[in-house]
Amino acid sequence: MSLFSRFMDGWRKYRKPGYYDEFDYHWTMAIDLDKCTGCQACMTACQAENNIPIVGEEELARGREIQWIRVERYWEGEYPNAKLSFIPIMCQHCDSAPCETVCPVSATYHNQDGLNTQIYNRCIGTRSCAVYCPYEVRYFNYYDHHWDSPLEQQLNPDVTVRGKGVMEKCTFCIQRIREAKDHAKDDGRRRVQDGEVQPACVQTCPSKALVFGDRKDSESEVSVAINDPRKYRVLDELNTDSSVFYLKKVDA
Amino acid sequence: MPNIDRRDFLKLVGAGGVSVGAGFMLREANKDATEYLIPHVVAPEDFSSGLATWYNSVCSMCPAGCGISVRTREGLAKKIEGNPAHPVNQGGLCSLGQAGLQVLYNPDRLTGPLKQTSARGSGSFEQITWDEGLDQLGSRLDLLRAARRGNRVAMLTQGVRGHLAQLFDNFMRQLGSQRLLHYDFNHPHTLYAANQRFFGQDRLPYYDLHNTRMLLSFGADYLTNWISPVHHSLGFGESRQGSSNERGRFIQIEPRMSASGAAADEWLAARPGTEGILALALANHIVSEGNYAGADRADWAVALTDYTPAKAAEQTGIPQSTITRLADSFIDIQPSLAIGGGAAANHSNGVDTLIAVNVLNYLAGNIGQEGGLLLNPEPTSVVSQQQQASYSTLLEFAEAARQGEIEVLILNGSNPVFTLPQASEFREALASIPLVVSLSSFLDETTAMADLILPSHTYLESWGDDFPEPGMGFPVGAVSQPVVSPLYNTRATGDIILALARQMNVGTALPWENMEECIKDGWRQIYERGDAQTLAQGFDSFWTSVLKAGVWGETAAGDSEFTLDRSVISNLGVQAPEFSGSEEDFPFILHPYLSPNFYDGRGANLPWMQERPDPMTSVVYGSWVEMNPSTAKELDLIEGDLVDIQSLHGTVRAPVYLYPAIMPNVIAMPIGQGHQEFGRYAKDRGVNPIEILSPEIEPITGQLASSATRVNIVPTGRRSKLVKTSGTSRDLGREIVQFADVNGVELSSAGSNSIPITEVTA
Repeated sequence: MSLFSRFMDGWRKYRKPGYYDEFDYHWTMAIDLDKCTGCQACMTACQAENNIPIVGEEELARGREIQWIRVERYWEGEYPNAKLSFIPIMCQHCDSAPCETVCPVSATYHNQDGLNTQIYNRCIGTRSCAVYCPYEVRYFNYYDHHWDSPLEQQLNPDVTVRGKGVMEKCTFCIQRIREAKDHAKDDGRRRVQDGEVQPACVQTCPSKALVFGDRKDSESEVSVAINDPRKYRVLDELNTDSSVFYLKKVDA
Repeated sequence: MPNIDRRDFLKLVGAGGVSVGAGFMLREANKDATEYLIPHVVAPEDFSSGLATWYNSVCSMCPAGCGISVRTREGLAKKIEGNPAHPVNQGGLCSLGQAGLQVLYNPDRLTGPLKQTSARGSGSFEQITWDEGLDQLGSRLDLLRAARRGNRVAMLTQGVRGHLAQLFDNFMRQLGSQRLLHYDFNHPHTLYAANQRFFGQDRLPYYDLHNTRMLLSFGADYLTNWISPVHHSLGFGESRQGSSNERGRFIQIEPRMSASGAAADEWLAARPGTEGILALALANHIVSEGNYAGADRADWAVALTDYTPAKAAEQTGIPQSTITRLADSFIDIQPSLAIGGGAAANHSNGVDTLIAVNVLNYLAGNIGQEGGLLLNPEPTSVVSQQQQASYSTLLEFAEAARQGEIEVLILNGSNPVFTLPQASEFREALASIPLVVSLSSFLDETTAMADLILPSHTYLESWGDDFPEPGMGFPVGAVSQPVVSPLYNTRATGDIILALARQMNVGTALPWENMEECIKDGWRQIYERGDAQTLAQGFDSFWTSVLKAGVWGETAAGDSEFTLDRSVISNLGVQAPEFSGSEEDFPFILHPYLSPNFYDGRGANLPWMQERPDPMTSVVYGSWVEMNPSTAKELDLIEGDLVDIQSLHGTVRAPVYLYPAIMPNVIAMPIGQGHQEFGRYAKDRGVNPIEILSPEIEPITGQLASSATRVNIVPTGRRSKLVKTSGTSRDLGREIVQFADVNGVELSSAGSNSIPITEVTA
């Protein structure tokens, strides 16, 4: 290996922590803003699936809400020509994730499937990742959260309840991905088929604006979606190489 | 037609059983959960540690009737998802539907029968046994029945369909009472009446948003609360970017932009209550331009003479050029569809407005057309639509109570103290009823006034069934099955009714041991009316497959035809709307709208919904009043200023939110908050704008004209912080949401870099 290529290899690894020559899967989401109605069913689905706590009015007023997926709203123009657009924003699972390079304890890293993952019991709560994330999708547990009994009976046993001092964020419902992989393995298949795994937000979307799948499978629904001429990525100029693609809202 | 046609639907139902738990196993797991402190040694078949079991059931959070699949683990409900095989929602589900889990596991549920021990409303209750409770009510009912005074018993229930509705009917008939009232605040009385007049049918047609290429919505917030929001969202997505190459165009006409208005390509604000005049002006242009060729063309031309676009422009405030453009595109872009609802239907001219909307569909030839409006065939074997009580009917009832004609009131899930204006004096009327009994699962405002509370199971613990209205072009039904064992000492509503029937010795007319048997018996009759193929499988297998699939469709139903009643043409006309209060004293029109989070207030006790930002404003946990930034500037108000909103009938206080898309003389308030009871998450939070509504009614239906109240705004000089999740409401050149033209070509961002008027804060 030439000195140059070794350097380049090292550079790539520095730029992409947990750099892989090839991902096993490349989980990707496409969100059609022309279909999104801003109804926020995705948010509630996420809350139910991922044991996201209720922080209460006081904490919310201090900006300490936890919403792995949120719907942002942007107004344009003034009455009578005012327009409102919605955009669901969750962890973009960047392949060059700014959050991964700054974690002093490598609590956040890139996994084999192209997912940006968070190891809760490694996190020491420096909150550096949240500072570096340009999408503002990392949420910090300022407290141990509490579920008024018997609300805790709803908690999903497949997902950890995070404690005080830990950063958390969207996982693309990694527990569902794991389950789908297990099923594929039990069936003697090597790979998860397209459509077999859907994060909670994608599953519930009333207008079917969200599509999820493996970008490595060129036939998959998501691969077709991200070849649409309307595709773009939010804050693409930052070269985060994110895994969430948006399809532009049509202004007709 | 919807995405699923009849053949696909049958296929889905056939395949729906895979990996879905069947309810008949459930009885095993349904034994009292408290008996099992340690895991089962020999577990029931549908109960294995570490593996999820899914049960198909029906959502009861709003009247849409979506199918749900509930994921359970170790006997606990974990997640609610849409049932992919159910033609109404096809896998999707709204926030409120998912939050049904927090109804089940709500910490403020009533855990057993209670008896009020001191004055009504004092909140002092003592626990009693079911036998005591049933005896107290049952013996009273039996006495009244024996004395042939059964009509002095009234039952006020939330809208209930299916066999439970039939059971209620039957029970009240045995009692000799005609006072069975179904009441939902949001029931579209005017829509039913308009369609009855136009099509001669008591049921709603199917609005085919999936295939329409041009939707003209007069006030109907079809994506949030109009009839079947999840189904419409599905249709919206399909019409926008579905299989068709032509992208559907959506136009919304309403005084305050709703979620459907935000999703539309064009949002237009006509003066409140003039939507029907606008619709007739469109019709006038269609006919006068020769775009309608029917034999009755001349009649229409005569009926529409008064509604010229020029005149309508004056009345509605929409420019004449816009009116003619809309009329032309409604004809040019096919298939097209016009719908009406929401505030437009809640004025004194509501029925006429909706008839005018139907006229557009008639003239454009949209009736019976794919992508238009499909008439639903008469269901041959399902018990479907109940009669809903209008506001006027409830007033009559309250008057009867005041006259001492009502001795017992049984409440089921309905919360009229919250959903009726103070002007109705309903709460006061309750005082004249000697015995008020509530079957509610929660201590809501009306239940707090009850003498006796016999709490029901939640829908996730009970047997039931539902037949969504409108049908999907063919009648659909689904069985609601318990997904977990009952948490508390509560009983299914049906079981309470059956127990009372036994107490009254009318058990022969209501012969079922429990609700499960009643439902099963009802479905046996549906089965027996089935075709040869259905009958060949035997009832047990039919029942199992209905439970497993979570849905059943009456595919043999015929088609429906209609001929226009000539009187529709001769009686055509929309009057100007009437408002309560003079324009001088009350310069603003109050536009109350159902909160996307709480529906008519029933979701306010769910913490997920409280913490879910309002989709349009991102406000959480409170109430607010929306006004145009220019209005606020005139009144010298900024976001968070507390104002008093005064009508002829009361005052509420809320902080101001500057809403960019609302008419300057209209102010809007969400309905849903402002509970005085209803548990820790709902209580003492925000205000309820229903309280100050004027008791104006739509005369044909007796529906409350809830958009007909004029109000005044009085600044208080005080401020309160609006808790919301959004920072700046503008893009500020960041290009977060990007736009393209229909061919996918990027449009330059129109976003402004300057901070607009709405962002100026203290």
